[in-house]
Formats: sequence, structure tokens, C-alpha cells
Amino acid sequence: MKKRTGIVLAAAATMIAALMSFSCAKSAPAAKKTQVRWFVGLGAGSDEPTFAPQKAVVDKFNASQNEIELVLEIVDNSQAYNTLATQISGGNAPDIVGPVGIRGRDSFKGTWLDLAPLVEKTKYDLTQFDNSMVEFYRDKNEGLVGLPFAIYPSFMYVNKELFAEAGIPLPPKKYGEQYVDENGKKWPWNYDTVKMLARKLSVDSKGRDSTEADFDSASMVQWGFGQQWGDARSWGTLFGPGSFTDASGKAQIPANWLAAWNWIYDGMWKDNFIPNGPYGSSDILGGGDWFASGKIAMDHSHLWYAGFAQIKFDWDIYPMPEWNGKTTAKMHADTFVITKQSKNPDAAFKVLSWLLGEGSSDLLKIYGGMPARKNLQEGFLSEFFATKFPAASIDASIVVDSIAYADNPNHEGWMPSFQETTTRYSDFWNVLTNEPSISVNAEADKLKADLEKIFAAAK
Amino acid sequence: MRRILGLPLKREQLWGLMFIAPWLAGFLIFYLVPMAASFLFSFMDFNLIQPENNRFVGLKNWVRALSEDPQVLASIGRILQYTLISLPISFGFSLVVAILLNNRLLLGTKLFRVLFYLPTMVPLVSTVLIWNGVLNEHVGWINLSIKHLTGLEVTGVDGIRWLANTRLIYISYTMIGLWGCGNTILIFLAGLQGIPTELYEAALIDGANGPRRLFAITIPMMTPVLFYNLITGIVGLMQYFLIPFVINQGSGFPNGMTNFPMVYFYRQSFSYFNMGYGAVIAWLIFALGLFFTLVLFGTSNRWVYYAGGKD
Repeated sequence: MKKRTGIVLAAAATMIAALMSFSCAKSAPAAKKTQVRWFVGLGAGSDEPTFAPQKAVVDKFNASQNEIELVLEIVDNSQAYNTLATQISGGNAPDIVGPVGIRGRDSFKGTWLDLAPLVEKTKYDLTQFDNSMVEFYRDKNEGLVGLPFAIYPSFMYVNKELFAEAGIPLPPKKYGEQYVDENGKKWPWNYDTVKMLARKLSVDSKGRDSTEADFDSASMVQWGFGQQWGDARSWGTLFGPGSFTDASGKAQIPANWLAAWNWIYDGMWKDNFIPNGPYGSSDILGGGDWFASGKIAMDHSHLWYAGFAQIKFDWDIYPMPEWNGKTTAKMHADTFVITKQSKNPDAAFKVLSWLLGEGSSDLLKIYGGMPARKNLQEGFLSEFFATKFPAASIDASIVVDSIAYADNPNHEGWMPSFQETTTRYSDFWNVLTNEPSISVNAEADKLKADLEKIFAAAK
Repeated sequence: MRRILGLPLKREQLWGLMFIAPWLAGFLIFYLVPMAASFLFSFMDFNLIQPENNRFVGLKNWVRALSEDPQVLASIGRILQYTLISLPISFGFSLVVAILLNNRLLLGTKLFRVLFYLPTMVPLVSTVLIWNGVLNEHVGWINLSIKHLTGLEVTGVDGIRWLANTRLIYISYTMIGLWGCGNTILIFLAGLQGIPTELYEAALIDGANGPRRLFAITIPMMTPVLFYNLITGIVGLMQYFLIPFVINQGSGFPNGMTNFPMVYFYRQSFSYFNMGYGAVIAWLIFALGLFFTLVLFGTSNRWVYYAGGKD
């Protein structure tokens, strides 16, 4: 019995030793390279179809040189925030994080490395980007926390079939042009005109539009206007840029946002041309993917939506309307950042430079982003739309023109106690989209009072 | 004899320990150590994304939870309120279904057993998403069915707002919860099948009618099963999280009614990364569950009947 036990133990020890030596032998060549970990998940890149193409980019980089081994870590977006926070807490943060939007970046404020010294050390050419986009990533306290990679202008997605069905002319095709109605009358392309059209395009189950007296708001089947996956800040920005933080760091509710929220609230509950919360999350509107459902005539969204949308009807893109004489087309932007905990910032910056340079053409196709590098912009959009939607004839010039109307300050910008503030204003938005008989101004006052408390506690 | 008997016993003990060693290791690594760590964190200002600022703050988090932050006690009040509504309904429903399924006169018993257990096999998140659609005030089929059957205008904002009305929300959540009662029904059914038939035969000879047999035989004999289900049910409700989180992303809508302790704990720990304060809330949830468990164990001598004796 003892002899048999001894044989078993010896065999087990031999196997473990063999496995260890095999593993050491296997990892020996890799040890010569500097390992750089690339974390994907805070923004685009955590959808299954993007895995293989991203892995191909990594393989391409690893094959291109012998000093650095780039390791890809993809985490699902729903888990990425907690995973990254846990890694940071454990002193095990990745070297590079991205693509990451403004929201994702500011959720981890204080975590990112100032890239300015590395830019200077390596003589990295910043002139290849629009200067305003470089400044977009410069924080007065934290320095240059990212370099421009991809931008996602926003514009109006329009379902041309719904306009045709209602016999209503389409919106103007260029910024600055007026809307011409079916009688040839001209209207300024503003939110009053949008409301006028949207009410005619909002229909109940008996085919009546929302301008008719016997319109039944409880059985709607089609809406005139919406914003895809918006929150209080992005909806507010329809009427102009703003921030919950004033110049002195105190809480504020921008007057234009309050006006927008009132307009939207009436649009949902009184004039019935914007989907309210229960309609918006229902299957009738694609469980949130409003435009692709084909049940919304005008839908505001970003370029990234076209990257994955499954649109099966005739559509095109149009300019954003103005409010009080000012047009705003909110902007999303993605970047790559390096963590302060990175053990090899020099190697990480080499990878970052490659991702923004040689690797960017592949990555931009994967993520559906418009290149931030000026020399890559030309031709990108027409190829992008032709590849994604060969049957549609999309006027890509609207995308480029929308850049000039980007919101500044950006609606996704930093706020004190970022996550707690986000939770509070999300609750506010939840009430607006689900409660039909509240005072928007009173709710906004409550929101401001709570934000003041949150901001004060964060100091 | 003692020496001979003593040796195998010691070896058996060792083997026993070896067999449960994987579980013991799992318990130590994944339960006991994290619990001890979370107790330690409850005395710290511990933020995941700013580890360099973590520091000991004594009882500050506990004082905040128990006296300064109204959300904590309010969330506990809400879960107690929800428990009072949900637990009797789900228990009553499960017991009635189990009794029906145990009835010899029921045709297609096996089919019904499968049908009642089947929803348990569907992942809970999917179930909640389906119910979210079913209870939609505009296009959910419950409201549409009521409208078509009765002609009443129950859809829309003036209709039955299952997920937005503060008076209906706990009933709606309980309805969703009933979908997952398969396990409880199964345990009740096993308990019912364990009751000796002689007892019913004797009762029949004595002339006891159906209700009499139910209250004099079935329910007393079922008390150990009821006791078990009550404890697991209450502990489960103290950790109630998934339904409000999937439907409202933990926003507490409507009017904070669904901001239960576990939801608030999640927000503090995993949305705001305040792990120290979150640990306090976690311990309060644990204390609440422990309190009810102790009360139930303390009173079990008075109402739980063990046919074979307690030991």
C-alpha cells in the first residue's frame, strides 16, 4: 500500500516538474520582450464581431518588431468598469486603455498618465491632428491625458419612407438652409419646425397623427422625433452645450438644458411626438434601437450608430436644427490612454503611437470611427458608407459639416463625484421619461440641490 | 477493542477531512477571508480607483450608515415592506400549487409538474426582461388583454401602470417572482409526498373532511419544510437585487420604491467604488438576515413539528 502511494506521489511530482519546465521553456523567449497590456471594454471593441479583427491588429504589431509583446485584454462593457477598478486597486492596472470615450475616461479621473513628457521625448508630431482636438484632451490639472484617435460627429438620421408615406418634404440638406414644406412655404430649420413635422409623423394605431383631436396616445405606432440612447446631458445639448458644473465648480442647471428638457417632456407627454420611457424600451421600438425599428422618422445619433445599425429601409442623414439661432451637433470622441501604474510607459507610448498611426486604419474600420488624423479623413466616409450600406446613397458631407457644430463644453465632460452625479441625473431623467404629470422645473430644482450636496461632499 | 476501534475512526476522520477539503478551501478563500476583509474595509475610506488615498477612518462609515444617510434605513424599511407583501403571496401560491400537484385526482400530474418547474430553467435576467415587456403599460399583453376582454381603457398613462405606480410596483415584482417559484413548489411537493398515507387513512376513518385533514395533518407535517423555505425565502429577499436592477438599472424608480438595501449596496460599491461604505451596508444586510434567521430558529420549537424527533 505504502509502496503504491510512493509510486503515485513520485509520478505526480514528475508530471508537475515536467509541466513547470514546459511552461518555463515556452515562456522563455517571451520574457525577452517588454510586455504591454492593452485593455479594451470602456468604449467600442467589446462586441464579439470585433474580437478577431482586434486580435489581428495585435498580431500585426507583434510581428512588426521584436522589443514589445502586446497583450490584448477584452472585457465586456458591462463588466469593464468594475474589472478595471479592481485591477487599479490591486496595483495591476493595464498599460493602455482604449478606445475610450470622454465618459469612460472621466470615470477614472486621476488614473491616466500625462503624455506631454513622452510626446516631447519622442518628438511625436501633434500637428497631424486638428489643434482643437489635441486641446480637447488637455486637462489643466492632469495634462495631456490622451491623443485624438477617432471622432463621432452627430446628425439627424431620417427615415425617408415615413416622410414619403405622410407626403411631407424631407429636411434641408445643408446646414444654414431653410425647410420648405409641401406648400412651398419656407421655415427656419429649428426645433419649432422639427416639432411641427414630428407631430404630423407621429401616428396612432388607427392612422391618426398627433395633431388630430381624436389622436390616441395610448396606442401609438410611430413617432416623429427622438434621440438614440440619450441621457439628461445629451438630450439637453440639443439646445446647446452646457455642464452641471459652473466655472467655480458649483452645481448648476444650464438654462438651455432646462428649456430642452421642457420641450422634450412636452414632446413625450403632451404633444406625443417623442417616445416616452415605456414606449421607448418596448419591442415596438426595437427595445431601444429606435431608428432601426423603422418606427421613428427623425432620430438624432452619432456616426458610431452607423457602424453597427441594421437599417432595412430608405434613409439618409440631415443637419441638426438650431435653437435660438445656434446649432449644436454634440460630439463623441475616442482615444487611447496610458495608466499611471504602467510599468513600461515608454513601451506603452510606442504601442500607442503605432495604434494611432499604422494600426489606426484597421482599427477605425473595426470601431466605425472617423479618423482624427486629418490626412486620413478624406475618402474615409464615402468608403465607410459604401461598405456598410451599399444600397443606400448617404450624403457623407453632413458628417464633416457637423464637426463645426460640436458641443464645447462637451456633454460627457467631467463632474465632481462622476459616478454618483451620473446616477443622480440618470434618476432625474428616469422620472422625466416615465412620469406624465410632474413639473420639469421642480424636478430640476431638486436635481440641482442634490448635485450641490454631491459636489460639496466631493471636495 | 478500544484500540482497534480507535485507529480506523481516526483514519476515517482524516479521510473525511480530505473529502471535504476542496469545499473547506473554497469556503476559506471565497467566503471567510472576503468576509473578514469586508469587515476590515468597513472601517476604511476605501475607493477602488484611488488606492493611494485609502485610509483607516474608524467608525465613520458605520455612523454615516446608521445616523446620517437616510437611504440606508429607508431601503431596509422598503425591503421589509416588500417582504410582508411578497413572502405570503409566493408561499401561499407555491403551497397551493404543490397540494394540487400532489392530488391523486389531477389528470396529467407529471405534465403539470414539468410546466410549473419549467420557468425556473429560464435564466432570471431573461425572465425579467420578458416580464418587463409583458407589464409594459402601452404595449404589454396583460394590459392589452384586459382592454380587449373588458373594453376598459387600461393602456397608457391613465391605465394600469404596473411598473410605474408606487401602489402596484411591489405586486408587479411579486408576480415576476412567482415565475421562479418552481424550486419552492418542488420542495413543498417532496414534503407532501413524505407524509405517511396512514395518517390520512386514519383521518378518513375518523370522518375528517378535506380542510380538517389539511390543517390537522398536512400543514403540521409540513412545518419542517415550511421552516426551511421560510429561512431561505427571507434570506433571499434580504439580498433582493436582480429584478429592480434589470428593470430600472437600480434607479429606485418609481419614487425610490425599488431602492432596496442590496441595490443601494451595489450602487455604493460598484458604481461609486466606495467599497468601505458599501461594506457597512453589506454587513447590515447580513445582520438583518441573521436576525430573522435567529428569530425563526428561536421560535421553531413552538411551531415546527419533527415527526422523527428534533435530533
